[in-house]
Amino acid sequence: MIDFGIPLLIGYVLSPFIFIFLSSYLFEKTEFANYIYVLFALSFVSRLSETNRNVFLKSIFGKQYKILRILENFIYCLPFTLFLVYQKQFVFSGILNLCITTVTLFNYNKTTNIVIPTPFSRKPFEFTVGFRKTFFVFPIAYFLTYISISVGNFNLGIFSMLAIGFTCLSYYSKMEDEYFVWNYNLSSKEFLIEKTRTCLIFFTILILPIIIALSISFFKEIDVLILSLLLCYPYLITIIFIKYSFFPNEMHLSQGILIVLSFIFPPILLIFIPFFYSKSIKKLNSILND
Amino acid sequence: MIKIDKLSKFYGKKQVLNSIDLEFGKGKIYGIVGENGAGKTTLFRCISGLENYKGTISSEYTKLKDHLGLLLTEPFLFPKITGEEYIQLLTNARQKKLVNIEDRNIFDLPLKKYASTYSTGMKKKLALTAILLQENNVFILDEPFNGVDIQSNLVITEIIKRLKKLEKTVIISSHIFSTLAETCDEIYLMKNGEIIRKVTQIDFDNLENEMKEFTIRNQIDKLDLK
Repeated sequence: MIDFGIPLLIGYVLSPFIFIFLSSYLFEKTEFANYIYVLFALSFVSRLSETNRNVFLKSIFGKQYKILRILENFIYCLPFTLFLVYQKQFVFSGILNLCITTVTLFNYNKTTNIVIPTPFSRKPFEFTVGFRKTFFVFPIAYFLTYISISVGNFNLGIFSMLAIGFTCLSYYSKMEDEYFVWNYNLSSKEFLIEKTRTCLIFFTILILPIIIALSISFFKEIDVLILSLLLCYPYLITIIFIKYSFFPNEMHLSQGILIVLSFIFPPILLIFIPFFYSKSIKKLNSILND
Repeated sequence: MIKIDKLSKFYGKKQVLNSIDLEFGKGKIYGIVGENGAGKTTLFRCISGLENYKGTISSEYTKLKDHLGLLLTEPFLFPKITGEEYIQLLTNARQKKLVNIEDRNIFDLPLKKYASTYSTGMKKKLALTAILLQENNVFILDEPFNGVDIQSNLVITEIIKRLKKLEKTVIISSHIFSTLAETCDEIYLMKNGEIIRKVTQIDFDNLENEMKEFTIRNQIDKLDLK
């Protein structure tokens, strides 16, 4: 919470209310909330799977390590489990707990060092690193698209497309060391164009199978499909501009709120994009010596 | 040619560099020595443009940083990025096309593995390979020999000598005096953010002896080793 710029005490008091509000909102808004909820809970728990942390715990706790990790995951997941039970989603609650138990059985030291092939090796780093961290999202999203086509549910197809969009947005949440920006022999403007172009091309590559499959299967809905796709692009551009507006500092809660605000009211992007563009140019000028 | 005039740097009220004047020419190798905290790394960061400073740093290049290869004491590495991708990232940044990377892997690094799993020495060799493949004209090498095995030490020394022949400017900091003496044309001694002495090749032996005497003095006697 300190990382997000919120005083610790206020954060602890507010977080249960925010959690309940957001969970209720999600279950009110979409029939696929249970799927999203389980995925979100798993990504939340995956924070505990960080390699160095697990190597350390293993060296300290030895045989008790697995029990400790299972307990940790259960406690971390408890709010999600309780809310799923409250929503009478007993099967999903069971699946969630089964998954979090299974993940503790992996040998992180070995599995995390396996180099996952990525189509983005030639242009590191955002999509190269991001793809490897979230590789499991893509088969799930493509599978959901397949289901959406087989059951004739267009909305599920759109959801799988947006899931990839959100995943790609997350690739820009972490700030790189200034050394990697400093290395570019580009002007600030050229640097931002280069970053944006790479992002949009790679995002399109990831989303293309879904677009093709949906446009063939739901040809009547192609306008909605194109609109959804076109809406993803300005969000990706915005997140890049916001990221470099605050460079080299990490994004804080205030930037998170602005992003959430843009999801509620997308036309605000028309203000955000030029505003954060000029702000990031100013920030980058100092490091790129423009 | 890089010319530094009256370079000063403050962190808050603390002055870490004090009115430094230096000149670095083409085809020469310069050593910067000094105890920990003397200001060597800060000086390098200022030359690179990674820090704001007072004074001027001028060169023949419009943007010195675009021709400068900077080897950091502890190279930053991303998780989940292979050695090959790290090199690709740094060469892409300088718009250099990279071909046959395996043929240019002079340190025999496991380039297909995640760079974060490399040892300290391997990370250093990877970062050095990357800045060499950027084809820079100026090199700043902050502790290039730290954590590197003896064979690679020899290779790095030879690389530095080759860079000199290619008319590149090389600035090195190192605590290993023998390697500096073997490669450098001039060595600058830094203390408390100031250049206190410039030494040319003929005086290197004297400098080493003076440094030993100054640093060690009677410190070891205090241990009363038996």
